[in-house]
Amino acid sequence: MENSTQESHLRSDNAVTYESPYPLYAMALSSTPAVTHLNHQRIALGSFIEDYANRVHIISFDPESLTLTTHPSLSFDHPYPPTKLMFQPHRKSPFSSSSDLLASSGDYLRLWEVGHSSIELISVLDNSKTSEFSAPLTSFDWNDVEPNRIGTSSIDTTCTIWDIEKGVVETQLIAHDKEVYDIAWGEARVFGSVSADGSVRIFDLRDKEHSTIIYESPQPDTPLLRLAWNKQDLRYMATTLMDSNKVVILDIRSPTMPVAELDRHGASVNAIAWAPQSCKHICSAGDDTHALIWELPTVAGTNGIGPLSMYSASSEINQLQWSAAHPDWIAIAFSNKMQLLKV
Amino acid sequence: MRAVFTMQLVARLTKDVIETYQICNPKFKYSEELNPKWFLTSPSVGVLNDGHDNVNSDLILTVNFVLINLETRRRYIVKNVLGHGTFGQVAKCWVPETSSFVAVKIIKNQPAYYQQALVEVSVLTTLKKEYDPEDEHHIVRIYDYFVYQHHLCICFELLDTNLYELIKINHFRGLSLSIIQLFSKQILRGLTLLKDAGIIHCDLKPENILLCTSVKPAEIKIIDFGSACMEDWTVYSYIQSRYYRSPEVLLGYQHPFDMNFSSLNLDHLIRYTTAIDMWSFGCIVAELFLGLPLFPGASEFDLLRRMVEILGGQPPDYVLKEAKNTSKFFKCVGRIHNIGNSEVCGRSAYQVLTEEEYEARELKKPLIGKEYFNHKNLEAIVTCYPYRKNLPKEDIIKESQIRLSLIDFLRGLVEFDPAKRWSPFQASKHPFVTGEPFTRPYRPPPETPHLLVARNIKVDHHPGGGHWFAAGLSPNVSKRNRVTFHNSPQFPMVPYGHANCYSSMGSLSSYNDNSGLGSSYGSYGDSSSIFACYSPVGPSVMTVHMQSGASMLGGSPNARWRIMRYSHGNGVGMSPSAKNFALLHLGTSPSQFTPPSSYGQGSVGSPGHYGGPTSAARNSCQGSPLRQVTDGNISNQAERNSQVVDGLPSRIQSNSSSVNWTQQQGGIGMATSYSIVQNIPKSIGLGSSVQLQYITGATQDKSEASMPLPGPGYWDPNYSDELLLQEDGSDESHVSAEFDRGMQIGSADPSVRIGRFNHASSTASSNLSRILDFYFVCADLIQLMLRTLDILVLCPQILTSCCTAQNSPSLSRQQNVQRFNHRRSAGVQDREQNHMKVHVPPSFSSRSPHSSGNSSFSNDMPWVTSARY
Repeated sequence: MENSTQESHLRSDNAVTYESPYPLYAMALSSTPAVTHLNHQRIALGSFIEDYANRVHIISFDPESLTLTTHPSLSFDHPYPPTKLMFQPHRKSPFSSSSDLLASSGDYLRLWEVGHSSIELISVLDNSKTSEFSAPLTSFDWNDVEPNRIGTSSIDTTCTIWDIEKGVVETQLIAHDKEVYDIAWGEARVFGSVSADGSVRIFDLRDKEHSTIIYESPQPDTPLLRLAWNKQDLRYMATTLMDSNKVVILDIRSPTMPVAELDRHGASVNAIAWAPQSCKHICSAGDDTHALIWELPTVAGTNGIGPLSMYSASSEINQLQWSAAHPDWIAIAFSNKMQLLKV
Repeated sequence: MRAVFTMQLVARLTKDVIETYQICNPKFKYSEELNPKWFLTSPSVGVLNDGHDNVNSDLILTVNFVLINLETRRRYIVKNVLGHGTFGQVAKCWVPETSSFVAVKIIKNQPAYYQQALVEVSVLTTLKKEYDPEDEHHIVRIYDYFVYQHHLCICFELLDTNLYELIKINHFRGLSLSIIQLFSKQILRGLTLLKDAGIIHCDLKPENILLCTSVKPAEIKIIDFGSACMEDWTVYSYIQSRYYRSPEVLLGYQHPFDMNFSSLNLDHLIRYTTAIDMWSFGCIVAELFLGLPLFPGASEFDLLRRMVEILGGQPPDYVLKEAKNTSKFFKCVGRIHNIGNSEVCGRSAYQVLTEEEYEARELKKPLIGKEYFNHKNLEAIVTCYPYRKNLPKEDIIKESQIRLSLIDFLRGLVEFDPAKRWSPFQASKHPFVTGEPFTRPYRPPPETPHLLVARNIKVDHHPGGGHWFAAGLSPNVSKRNRVTFHNSPQFPMVPYGHANCYSSMGSLSSYNDNSGLGSSYGSYGDSSSIFACYSPVGPSVMTVHMQSGASMLGGSPNARWRIMRYSHGNGVGMSPSAKNFALLHLGTSPSQFTPPSSYGQGSVGSPGHYGGPTSAARNSCQGSPLRQVTDGNISNQAERNSQVVDGLPSRIQSNSSSVNWTQQQGGIGMATSYSIVQNIPKSIGLGSSVQLQYITGATQDKSEASMPLPGPGYWDPNYSDELLLQEDGSDESHVSAEFDRGMQIGSADPSVRIGRFNHASSTASSNLSRILDFYFVCADLIQLMLRTLDILVLCPQILTSCCTAQNSPSLSRQQNVQRFNHRRSAGVQDREQNHMKVHVPPSFSSRSPHSSGNSSFSNDMPWVTSARY
């Protein structure tokens, strides 16, 4: 095997760092331990290179030995920097298949089969009808209740729901007045999205004619960039505003009024992730180089919530994922580094 | 390999993703135009109005479509559609200028809807400016109106859920009595105002009462004045949504003091009052309590049957005697000569038909709806309505007392006799509303009758809303009265309200200036000619209009616009419904209205008549003078029907204020009602004499205003003021006979007909006023007919004959008919159409631990602000 175990530059009991040859943005953690090594977790990393040719590669992490393993064969070229990477959620049995499914978004939604020693492009899901170039996809989310369903968000104001097994569009909704920047599933048929129009909207595929505005940014048309739905308690979502140091926590039962605004970052918040196994915790990371873990108070409406814990990276943190397979670990990406942090 | 560390990558792959892609691939391009359009209008295929309108003449709206008031440059950015109906669409719009949302009603690009919407504009503007400047009477506020891409757009304050939705959210269980009391008080405040203004809403129902978005708890507003009318200008007989339809409307009740045109078989003259809204209000209050309509009649027969059963009793004999539909629902069991005093004996001369009898008469089974209540009479229905669960015993006792009060309250509202039905003021003093303990049946304070003179004076002192409310007068007088209020622009010395007069002219003509309604004109040209034969008086009257209308048209469109916008216009001015503009009203409902003068014009629809606004009347000189006249009228009709009609009153005014006349009378009497009344017949007389002159060769361009014309006394030796105030039956029959003849002749030769009219007019001046009345009546009828298919069905032979006589394409006429039929039948569909959908993702509400069930609507309210409906 050509796999090689790379000792991280910076290694302690609480943090493991991986250095990539290029700047990183997109990042995905497999939801189940890697097929071949029971405890290993796969991590997909996407480059951010200002060129058509970008790169995605897969490494694996062993939380017991705190080692990261690179697999030179497990990488592929990607047109444009991927805007998001995601492994298929909740595979029923880690032994049912020898491979993982990975999805990437950019100019199109692509599905990749990550095998033991190779990666194959399974499909390019293209819904553009007219022009030479399709509208770039800003994000997507894989439905963990119906794993054949992926929803993408596009700058053409739409969200597209794909049935990836059949490779067909289930539905396309004009979700917002302006570009859609992120999408998140709440349950099998319910998703939320955020947009340049400054709103968080919830859609139910059973009633496509209507949506519910859960939140609108206080200054009209301040874009909302990221959206995270609390899978442990579906009442709560979190969103971030463009150029804002706030994480806005929403309770979908009380639209328009956020239940909390987490504003202790010193600069723009770039990424948010709910804890996979606690309904009260959320992590955020931003340009202030900090990753902050917050515990939401049980009483809504409390102001001045301070972070539970803080981690400082060496530069602006662009990406953040909380491992579902190993909830003790949070992965962040800054400049050309990926770092795993123990909570 | 270039790396970027300088900027947030999340922004570079979201907000700036296009730039990022272009850096990555210089060939990449994408533009917003490629975004799929989010159509809010269905169907979204543009087929009319240069592709701006769909097949239904609705403006095709997309998200972020911008409506612009070109006058003020104010922009309205469409965000979603709140609802749609036969009139058009209602969009929720963002106004950047004020950073607020408004509701904009975008009227269909069809003259009839346009004109009907102008009524709403004028009603609401008048109410707002003249009657409720402080916004205390729970009437929806109008903010702005303008024409955009040939669509009239009316901006309203944005409101929330309607009461039907509220009941639905409450799972069709009744609301609490305290909420009902709160709502009743507010609705009554609104109805009091409407009564003062002499306005009938005509479509009061839970769907048209909306919660406010404001923080004030449970504040409501009355909306949708699209069917409203003035109390003395009740044009349509088929009004009110069925469940809330008053018995007098259902029966087609005609006030006894109106003329009886039964000899013409055209007795569709309906006169109803603001009392019909009180009936609807009673139905609404009951529905709020019961959660279901009190009279969910599946048909009119079913409706009446339910009323009779639930209330006991039936409409009073004096109503049944006069109502045109009585025979549809009742059989006469008393002797004819007893009718009228039979009630004194306590027994009615009429008896409701049984289902079998109805079937035998109508040759079809009446539609009978489901019974929702176990009990048959109002008292039992209210008393036995289940109490809310887990109500403590003392509360049950308390509520049972309030229920008795409610029953007493409802009894005063759903009262068969419109004369006995409580007024809004009377109802608002009821213990149920005031919250006082209910001890004994309520005896309302007497409603101070509005004295004609008093009201008249009041009107005069409202130059802004002025002649509008001349309509507040009782019908028989006001019809004369409204003429007086038409001040001629040429004679601005008339003391009151000329500004309004101007503005109404102005606005209406500006409508025409601005609207290239193109194709639709043809159709009303047709329809107008269809019924032309009904009105023997028509031509002369219309000629007069046309002339002064033409004289009004000289001004530049801009000037007129300005007048409309900045004069006390009130939109009143704008109002075709401006009551006193009886004729105006007619003229302004193109497809509904049939200008009697358009008689005999096959050329109505020809584009040649659609010339510039000021040219129509004059350009149309062809052939004989008479022909000129009629042609002119028609082209006016087609081009800007409103002016045509406007013309009459102002023309009359100008005649009556001409030098001779003024000298004789010592000024134009606007100060007292007496002299107002006095003026009319004279001016009418003048009007007809003008006609005479005209026919005998006056050219169209000749200004009538310059002709010194004699007053009625000049050629009417019998003239006296007293005559005018007389309610004389003999005159009536004489006139109807006259008309009868006119009718027959009318369909033959115009000149003969006109001669006939001339004869009639010179017979007696009171006859002339009658004739003018009849003109109104005819116009009423015509409108009415076009509005209601059922009436059309009654007179197929008339239609046919008209059709052949006019050479008018029957197709377009039929379209008109269908359109209105549709509009009317929409009353039934309203429920469906008006629903604002409340979208609660089921999973959320079920998961929500704080949700306290659905008994309290406030809990559900957040979801009501659902993004798109």
